[in-house]
Amino acid sequence: MATRGRQLARTEAGSAAGDADLLTGRGRAWRGLVLAALTAMFVAGSVVGQDAWWPFSPWRMFSTSQAPTGSIFAMAIEVQTAADPAWRRTPITPESVGLNRAEVEGRWGQIGKDPTMLATLAASHARLRPGDPAWVAVRLVRDETVVVDRRPTGEVRETEIARWAAP
Amino acid sequence: MGGAVTRLAGWLFEPAPRSRVALLRLAVYAFVIVDVLALHTSGWYHGFADPVWYQPLEAGRLLGLPAATVLLVEGLKWGSVGAALVALTGRWPRAAGWAVALTWSWYQYVAFSYGKVDHDRGDFVVALLLLPTVGLAHLGDDRRSQAAGFALRGVQLAAIATYVLSGVAKLRFGGPEWVNSATLLRAVVRRGSPIGELFVQVPWVLHAMQWVLMVAELTAWAIFFLPDRWRRLVVLAWYLFHAVTYATITIAFWPHLVMLLAFLPLERYRDSAVRRWRSRRSTPLTTA
Repeated sequence: MATRGRQLARTEAGSAAGDADLLTGRGRAWRGLVLAALTAMFVAGSVVGQDAWWPFSPWRMFSTSQAPTGSIFAMAIEVQTAADPAWRRTPITPESVGLNRAEVEGRWGQIGKDPTMLATLAASHARLRPGDPAWVAVRLVRDETVVVDRRPTGEVRETEIARWAAP
Repeated sequence: MGGAVTRLAGWLFEPAPRSRVALLRLAVYAFVIVDVLALHTSGWYHGFADPVWYQPLEAGRLLGLPAATVLLVEGLKWGSVGAALVALTGRWPRAAGWAVALTWSWYQYVAFSYGKVDHDRGDFVVALLLLPTVGLAHLGDDRRSQAAGFALRGVQLAAIATYVLSGVAKLRFGGPEWVNSATLLRAVVRRGSPIGELFVQVPWVLHAMQWVLMVAELTAWAIFFLPDRWRRLVVLAWYLFHAVTYATITIAFWPHLVMLLAFLPLERYRDSAVRRWRSRRSTPLTTA
């Protein structure tokens, strides 16, 4: 098998030198320049860029350090409908409110100052799911999962960040 | 110096079969359709979000791109699908290919300009930009060309660069202590899955995986120095890594998985699959 692979590789190299279609000098030059420019942008994006540089933004998924002992935060929204006065948790998904959880989480400071931003979620939900009961109140809640030495203790603390109710 | 440049150019422009590019194009443009219609639809939903949530990226500021509307997202969605369908036929490869590059990238921009940028899609822009540069490439055309070789090499480089640059980002944002942090545990707690729950019970596994991941990412470039067969094994190993990631935190870097195909001799796989299929079909005929 390995021998066959080597033979194939030799044949490839042989034909590469022979009957391949070659690019002109100009064709090679502009391709080389495009590749160099892309490389420069991606490297710059990774070294000094931020998310806003997309598509050249740094590849930062899961790049932050989480302390082995501490808290893991996740946000959630809870809603009330006219028929159901209890707070019910509902997932923050594009299908439900037009936004991802992370997109709402990233603005939590602003939402805390201006809770009417939660009203836009109720409005988007009404447009996306016209058949569902309308939300008359929305609140943003932060879950804090307590971790000690890389192991969740089972304790989850809930804090309300902001609340909006239809007038 | 001159010798190194010549060798680098020889490597970048190493001829490859046009049929390989044609097959990769099939995968890439078919993926675009699936992606736009089913996998990554948050851009479409942003058409329904209030403009108060719009946070233009640098590209949007430079080009003056507005907040999404339902009309815009429908146009980009169906524009991507239409252009990809034309590109799948292999006709007008440049016009159709660059139309896909434009509409798909803009659609991603809409998805990412509401506060969350996904970090698995920048490299696919490179594939969409480079594949059209090959021009006509028929599925049955096994003749080699430098244009085909360059496009494939560019896609390979972009795919591998994402690993190396992910390692760089971990060092930049998480610091060297990232390997000893609890970042993967955080990911599992936030995006739990039944398999992820198992990992929470054995914390050292996630800890060890952080070391393995950092080393694998920072040394990913070595794939270009391996013989063909080993290179394919490394690609297989990366596919396995992505499968495990999906099982634990339900995140898959779909466009990137398509780009890794650029490392494989696709036309040979196709030929042997066709041969096997034909021999299986002809066996009952001869015995009948």
